[in-house]
This record gives sequence, C-alpha cells and structure tokens, in this order.
Amino acid sequence: MSSFNVVGQNVRRLDAVEKASGTAVFSTDFKLPGMLYGKVLRSPYPHARIVNIDTSGAEKLPGVKAVATHKNTPREKFNTSATMTFTVPTYEPVLDQYIFDNVVRYVGDEVAAVAAVSEQVAEEALKLIRVEYEPLPAVFDPLEAMSPEAPVIHECATGKNIPGEIIRIPFGDIEKGLAESDVIIEEHFKVPVQKQVQMETQAAVAQVGADGKITVWSTTQTPHPSRMILSKVFGVPHSKIRVLNPPYVGGGFGVRIGLSAKAEPIAVALAMLARKPVKVVYSRKEDFIASDTRHGGYVTVKLGARKDGAFHAIQMKGILNAGAYCSFSCETPGVLGAMGLAVYRIPHQYYYGHSVYTNTTPSGAMRGFGNPQAMFAIESVVDMMAEKLGMDPLELRLKNIMRVGDPWCLPYKCSSTGLAQCIERGARSIGWERRGKLNRPGDKKLRGIGMGVGTHVSNAWPFCVDYDNAYVTIQQDGSVHLAAGVPDIGTGTSTTLPQFVAEVLGVRLDQVSMAFADTLTTPFDIGSHASRTCYAAGTAVVAAARDARKQILDYAADFLKVAPEGLDIKDSVIYVTGPNVGAECAGTGVCRAGGGERTSVTLKELAYHAHLRNKQFIGVGRIVPDNAPPWHAHFAEVEVDTETGQVRVIKMAAAHDVGKAINPGIVEGQIEGGVLMGVGYALSEEIRYDEKGRQLQDSIHKYMLPTAEDRPEIDAIIVEAEDPTGPFGAKGVGETGLVPTAGAVANAVYNAAGIRLKEIPLTPEKVFRALQEKRGEA
Amino acid sequence: MTTKLLKFTLNGEMTEVAVSPSDMLVDVIRDRLNLIGTKKGCGKGECGACTVIMNGEAVNSCLVPAMKAMGAAVETIEGIGGPEKFHPLQESFMDLGAIQCGFCTPGMIMSSKALLDKNVNPTSEEVREAIAGNICRCTGYVKIEEAVFAAAKKMRENQIGRDRNEQF
Repeated sequence: MSSFNVVGQNVRRLDAVEKASGTAVFSTDFKLPGMLYGKVLRSPYPHARIVNIDTSGAEKLPGVKAVATHKNTPREKFNTSATMTFTVPTYEPVLDQYIFDNVVRYVGDEVAAVAAVSEQVAEEALKLIRVEYEPLPAVFDPLEAMSPEAPVIHECATGKNIPGEIIRIPFGDIEKGLAESDVIIEEHFKVPVQKQVQMETQAAVAQVGADGKITVWSTTQTPHPSRMILSKVFGVPHSKIRVLNPPYVGGGFGVRIGLSAKAEPIAVALAMLARKPVKVVYSRKEDFIASDTRHGGYVTVKLGARKDGAFHAIQMKGILNAGAYCSFSCETPGVLGAMGLAVYRIPHQYYYGHSVYTNTTPSGAMRGFGNPQAMFAIESVVDMMAEKLGMDPLELRLKNIMRVGDPWCLPYKCSSTGLAQCIERGARSIGWERRGKLNRPGDKKLRGIGMGVGTHVSNAWPFCVDYDNAYVTIQQDGSVHLAAGVPDIGTGTSTTLPQFVAEVLGVRLDQVSMAFADTLTTPFDIGSHASRTCYAAGTAVVAAARDARKQILDYAADFLKVAPEGLDIKDSVIYVTGPNVGAECAGTGVCRAGGGERTSVTLKELAYHAHLRNKQFIGVGRIVPDNAPPWHAHFAEVEVDTETGQVRVIKMAAAHDVGKAINPGIVEGQIEGGVLMGVGYALSEEIRYDEKGRQLQDSIHKYMLPTAEDRPEIDAIIVEAEDPTGPFGAKGVGETGLVPTAGAVANAVYNAAGIRLKEIPLTPEKVFRALQEKRGEA
Repeated sequence: MTTKLLKFTLNGEMTEVAVSPSDMLVDVIRDRLNLIGTKKGCGKGECGACTVIMNGEAVNSCLVPAMKAMGAAVETIEGIGGPEKFHPLQESFMDLGAIQCGFCTPGMIMSSKALLDKNVNPTSEEVREAIAGNICRCTGYVKIEEAVFAAAKKMRENQIGRDRNEQF
C-alpha cells in the first residue's frame, strides 16, 4: 500500500483555531462603516396580486434610508439557484423570479424591503408599508396542481404547472422486463418537506462603490455562479462584481447553491438605492418559510424479479412539489431517478419524473438531492421483495448490486464499488445475525434491524456544467499559496485541498495557505455542492500542484545539475534520489561525473534563487471532472414502543465507500452528520401547511430535528475502494450519510413490529395508527 | 429611547456600556462590544448558538435582557482561552474533529464548560443534557460528545496536578 505524508492523515482542520477561539468571521458577523440593516416584508397570502403598494409612511420614518419594491428594482427574471448558470444545453434554465414581483405565490414571498439605521427601525418601517392584495386561488399539493381546476402559478409549456422538461430515463425494455419477471411488487410512497436548518441563516452584506463596483459578502456555497446571477439581475459586468464568503459559512446542505435565498439581490438593491452598505440577515422564521427546502412529493416503485432473486425490471415515477418557484426543481427529479436506478444491476429500467409548482415555499437543493426520496422507496420495496421471495434481504441485495463495469443508465462508468464490503462490515457492526431474535412474546417495546443501501455522485457532470480551476503559487520564501474558488461550508475543504497540495509538493501542511470562496482572488469554480469539492476541485488542485512541482524540479535540475527525474521533494527540500553523486548517479552527465556540487536544496533557497532571476513557480490546474460513484450501506437497530408509537433508533452502522479518505476524521464527521439528518428525515422532520398555506413548522422548536439527546450510537465505517478518476482515489461523501437512512429505519421498524409505512416521517401518530390497524387485522 | 449604563464583568474585565431596556445581552456582546464569537442563530432561545456563562450558569444570551447582566460575571468564548493558551475544551474540539461549520462551536463549548466547571466527571446522559439546547446540524454530535469527555479527562488530570502542587 502506498504511503503518504499528508493525504490519508487525520490532520487537525486548518480552520479549527479560528472557530474554537471565537474569531472566525461569518456573514452574520460582518460589519462595514455606515452600514444599514435591511428587512423584508413578506406575503401573508399563498397567492395574491398586489393591487397597490404605498411606501410613503415607511419612507418618512426617521432612520429609513431606502424602500425597495417591484416598482423601483430591476425587472429582470432570474432563478435564485445556480441552475441558471450551469444548465447544460439543450436544456434551458427556468427563470421565474424577480427580486420583487406584483404577484406573490407563497406565504413568505418577498413584497418589499427597507434599509434603515438599525434592525428595529427597519422592522418598524415594514409595518408602515400599506399593501392592497387581491387574493387568488391557491394549491398546495403537486398532484392537485396538475388538475384543470388548479390555478396557474406560472405559465408552463410542458404541462400544467410543470417547470422545465419531463425526465425520462429508459434503459433496456421495461415492458419486456416486467413481462419476464416472476414476482412484481408495486408500491406508492409519500415523502415530506425537509428543511436544511443550517445553523447560520441566509445572509448578505452588499456594498456598491462610487465607481459602481459591487461587493457582496454572503453565505453562498457558490460565489462564482452567484456573481453570474447578480450580474444578470443588475446588468453589471462579471468583472465589476465581487462575491465572497467572509470566509466562513455556517453550514449549507444545499440551501445556498446559487444565491442565499434572496439575501444577496435584496442587499444589493437596497445598497444601490441607499448608496450605503446594507446587511440583510434572515430571521430563523424567514429562513424556514422563505428559503429552499427539500422536495416533498410522491414516488412509485415497480420492481420485478426472477424466482432466483435476480432483479429483472424496475419502473419508477417521481412527482415532486416544486413549491412556488423553480429553483432546482428541474434537476431534482432527474437525480431521484438516475440515482435510484443506478444501485442495482437491472437489465430493464424506466423512470418518469418531474416537479409541479404549488403555492408553497420553493423546494431546491438539500443534501442528497432527490436520492433520499428514491432510496426510501426502493429500499422499502427491496425488503418487501426479499420477504416475498423468502430470501434474506442482505443476500438479495448482495446478489443484485452493481459491479465494476456493469452497464447502467448513467452517462459515465461504474468505475469502482466497495458496496459488498460496506454491506459485510455494516452487518458485522450491527450484528445482522441477531435479526429476528430480539423480542420475546409480550414485549411492549419491540426491537428490529433493517438495512438500506445506495450510491451517489462525486460532482454534477455531465448533468450540469461542472469544472474547476486552481492556482498553486510558490512564494519567494518557499511557502505555498493555493487559490480555489470553493467555499468551506463546514465540510473541511480548506483543509483537504491544502492536504493535496502539501502531498504533491512534498511540503509540510503548515507551509500552505489557501484563498477560497472569493471571486476576486480565485479562478472560476462552480462551487461547493453535489459532494464535489474534494473530488472535483481536488482534481484541479492536484493538477495545479503537479504543474508547480514540475516547474520546481525543472529549475532544481539545472541548479543541482541532475535530470529532473532524479529529484524528489520532502519536507520542502529538493534532493537527488538514489545514489547521489558519482558514477552510479541516475542524473545528468555532469552529476554522474561528480560535477554536481550539491545533492539538495531547500525550496526556500530555490524559490529565492529563482526570484532573483525574475521567476516564480506558478502551477495552474484546469479540469473537467470525470464522475465516480460513492457507495454506502446503513444498518439500523430500532426500538418501537407499541404503546405510544414512538420509534427510537438505537444504533446506526453506516459503512461508506468513499474511495481514498483524504482526511478520515473529516470523512467520519460527514457520515455522522448525514446519518443524524437522515434519522430526522425518517422519524420526525417535516414542514406541513395549514389550509391557508401557512407553514406549521417555522421555528427550530416546532420543527423536530434531532438533538444530542436523540442521537443513536453511530458507527461510521470507512471503506476505501479507490476510484481511478478521483484525486488519490477519492470520491464524494458530503451527502451520502442521508441517502439510505430512512429506508434502513423503515425496514427496521417493519422487522420490529411488522408494520410497513409508506410515508415518512415515521411519527408516533403514524406508527401508532399502523400498529392499531395491524392489531385489527389480527 | 432612554439608555442606562450597564456595568458588569465580561471575561474578567469590568465593562461599562450604555444600553436601552429592550437590548438583549447577545446584541450588546456582539454589536456593541464586538465579541462576535457569540453567535446568533435564532434569537428565540431555540438553537443555543448564543450561549454564554453568566454567574456560572449557561444561558441563551438572546433571551437575557442586557440590564439583567448588571453586576454579573459573564464569560464568552473569547474569555476562556485563545492561541496563547486554549481551554481544554477548545483543544479537544479542535483535535477530535468536533468542529465543522463552526457556527454552533462557541455556544457548544460554553454549555460544556458550564457543565464541567461544576462536574468534571459527567456521565454520557449529563453531557447530552447539558448540550441538548445547542443545535448542531453538521456533526451528529458524536465527536462533540467525545471532545467533551476528552476535555473532562484533561481537566481532571489538571485538577490532580494542582492538588499535588498544593500538597507540596
């Protein structure tokens, strides 16, 4: 096994010192001289026309410096998500939003905004804005929204309230496959609206210079694409806009791929009107109701198998709730289908899916991006199939999972898989053999064990535009500067990418510093999303570091009078490898003759030597990533309280094939966090609506996310099936912890109590009702 | 609006600042005294990011009217340690991967410190209870709990060391 100095090591995060000492700066902390505070007036109606809006009262309030409405802000359509910057032709991005419109389409939609000398004054001013609404009919369910009676939320060419295109993924011959299957199971599932609840709410500070240049500090996960969006909205060239994180971001989980809801454009619009810097920070309630959620909706799975257990056909359908604006609603149903179909070797497949507009909070990207919806449904059906065939669900999965080189529906190769090993190690951790032997007659609390598996992507190519650039520059003292345009939203980017550089260059990690998440100081990068940063940005960073290394060695070859191939770098010292000098030297003739005076030089000395001769080593990496599948198997042990319906997850064994783990501690952290978010998705997290379209869960207390007291034991197991396309063999891991969790929990609940729920979250009410129904049947 | 002079001890230093009756402690600490380590994640006492220690107790500073801190001793993340000498909790959070996005970190450390200041040998339940009001969406709390235990161990060892020194 190859050994590395920095890659694969559990080095301490480079951002830890600032974050632990309380000096790390986030957007919500950011202040500028003369800065104003912006607050947003939001619609109380789920659908209404704004007949009249009178801002004169607000404008007169002392301390108010600007009021923005649809009347005095750009009428340029956009999409808050980065899809408008990376939709691949021939698809067209859906642009269906203005900063403010004269129609509001969900409770929380933006109506106006105020900039004032304090948050209090801005909030007072909002109360003085008089808005006359003409309420319009509203619809909240995606199936109802397609019906002829439903109101039109946006005009759509594809079908009633259907944004973008219908996604169809054909593979093999589905009709033939189903006809040839011995056993067919078809089930319908309902999945909830989940919220990211990243700890830092959406925020932006905008400054418009006297020269017209715009600077925006914000919570975006994608500064470069965000700059493109702002450029279109405000008609200002890319080159005159700077978007950056300051540099830390309090979590993301997909909620700000593109703009941070509308924090950036509202801050910029107010700053232009007030001619002063403006800070917009969403309250937690605003973050809940007016910032993208995970897509809820409906998933149907029809699985056909041969008698021997070989899966033969799978037909899937996904109808998702887009909410009031498109955001990522064209892409999410596609990922739902593509990832769902990619897990098992099934010769005949077909997927049909799309989103539907409703008068609810827009749905967008959230960790897993359609995949958790798919795998809750598929893994439930696979368990049902195992029962019907009389097979062990683990054996059934092992029999059918993808292998390297198998044909599949994805437009790139299945180039690695450690899924079988994930299943084996996860099963060992949970004690799979205990399954079915955990309860005694008369037990009120029933235990069960279930499993779920899945795959995902390591970036968005070729589904979306996806490329990376990076610079590695050797400073005149031999220390190293890396520039890459990806944020660190907490996933450790600003540590793992420098780890790559240190490894390739042969320098200590403390010699490397990194500029990130800033359009002014970094080359274009798509950003931190789609589990891509380590894999895709990492590929560019490795390429840049290799380029710099080559320049160093070429220069050192002249300096040491050896061939560059005869040199290596360790601890910032370039030295002649092998027999150093004399007849056995592998290097140049001069060296072989013993003419080289020295056998090593420090990078510090060499960089300064070069500097005095007008040269700097500057490595450039410009790449389009390949793609690679990470794999995962989760095993849940649960306890179902038959008297209350309460489900508790006791333990989750989560085995993940992440390729090479560049920083194993960071990888474990990604898995553990994803697992707990998945447990919330399975058991408790959901935003529901009342009949007036109001979000019933609009605060952390009302929205039941897991706390430290709710967490199960989590065994994060790393499996390293290195992928030939990844940097040092790495694959994505950011989203995978969530993907198979709900399916594993639902299967464990069935194993414990014999109830099969096809709708998550598995709340005590639903579980209790199912237990009652089961008793009734018995 | 009428302002009053709030006098309190902040991180060991006598501090005076003019506040109005509606000001909350979190805003005074962050906006007036510029200690941004104390974070604001909800403003309603639901997330724990603004946790500080007041007279030995962990409190959500977004729920404390600033004037309530009159005469009190308040500790924030900036006051417990820094690069010259980190608190054992800060050390263990850094070393054991308990920090991801970092937004919950100061509050999480302050809640943990309030616990360990009183009970340097807590059970798992006690640790979980102490940080139950601190939401972390990144870590799944696994490495945070490990870090609190590691810090407790270090603090116990330091305590033994101090006791020994006092004996001699």
